[in-house]
Amino acid sequence: MEGPIKKIMVYIDGTEESITAGQYAICLSKSAGAELSALYVINTRALNELLRARIFIKSEQEEYKNDLEKDADRYLKHIKALADEKAINVNLIKASGNIIAEIKKSVKELDIDLLVIGELSRIQSRLDELHNEVERAMRSVSCSVLIVKDQERVETLYESLK
Amino acid sequence: MELVELINENIVKIPLAGNSKDDILKELITVLKDAGYIDDVEETYRDVRKREDKGSTGLENGIAIPHAKTSTVKDMTLALGIKPSGVDFESLDGKPSKVFFLLLAPPDQAGPHIEALSEIARLSRSRYFLETLSNAKNPKEAVELFKS
Repeated sequence: MEGPIKKIMVYIDGTEESITAGQYAICLSKSAGAELSALYVINTRALNELLRARIFIKSEQEEYKNDLEKDADRYLKHIKALADEKAINVNLIKASGNIIAEIKKSVKELDIDLLVIGELSRIQSRLDELHNEVERAMRSVSCSVLIVKDQERVETLYESLK
Repeated sequence: MELVELINENIVKIPLAGNSKDDILKELITVLKDAGYIDDVEETYRDVRKREDKGSTGLENGIAIPHAKTSTVKDMTLALGIKPSGVDFESLDGKPSKVFFLLLAPPDQAGPHIEALSEIARLSRSRYFLETLSNAKNPKEAVELFKS
């Protein structure tokens, strides 16, 4: 019988938590024999909102967009290096736009059956609950979702992976 | 990183004493120096002023969000100041600014910087929140508002 997980996608946003999620996804991919994808979304929606709110000026919006492009390349390259170290192939996806929409779109297009995300910030106010985009994506994607916790344990797990 | 994780009583000053844009910027930067978040006040001021010179960060409804990328901070850093009587910050609506969020981020943290600015932008859309914040009597009251 085939295992239940064939296609895994990990969401990377540059936080330590998302890199830990990447390490866990690599371990899972190896043990389940599943295909692995890593997605980074350049949040152009937020950039546009900041311009509309006049917090950003046009040149600043462009500057930050370039910074985000570089971040995307850097973090995806890091995930590729982590996967290479464990002889796992990873499909790198760099998208732009609304985080929630892009996560949902990739899950659907790639027929992902497990989305892996990093530990979410503790909810400290009602606003956090309303506006945490990864949390909202987690609630609305069509596939199962795994939230990775315990960075130290995951690090050990990843290091011990042959 | 959520805004609430950046805010604490040590980086809030109520009331601000300054009476000009420069005074306010320097005062907020000094708050961060006193709280141990930065060492170089002058370089930080230059970076913040450089951004401010491209276009004022004084918005509408009494809020200003001066911000800059600067290598004087290791992590994203916030200072909050309130000047109940307001000060001319060359705001969009021409009205005095009362609530000041100074947000500094290292050059390699564009993502978190954008998220934090977006969060402040969302808060600034709530007139009720801004009014309550601008009436906060002390740092404790202001910090509590972010956690409610």
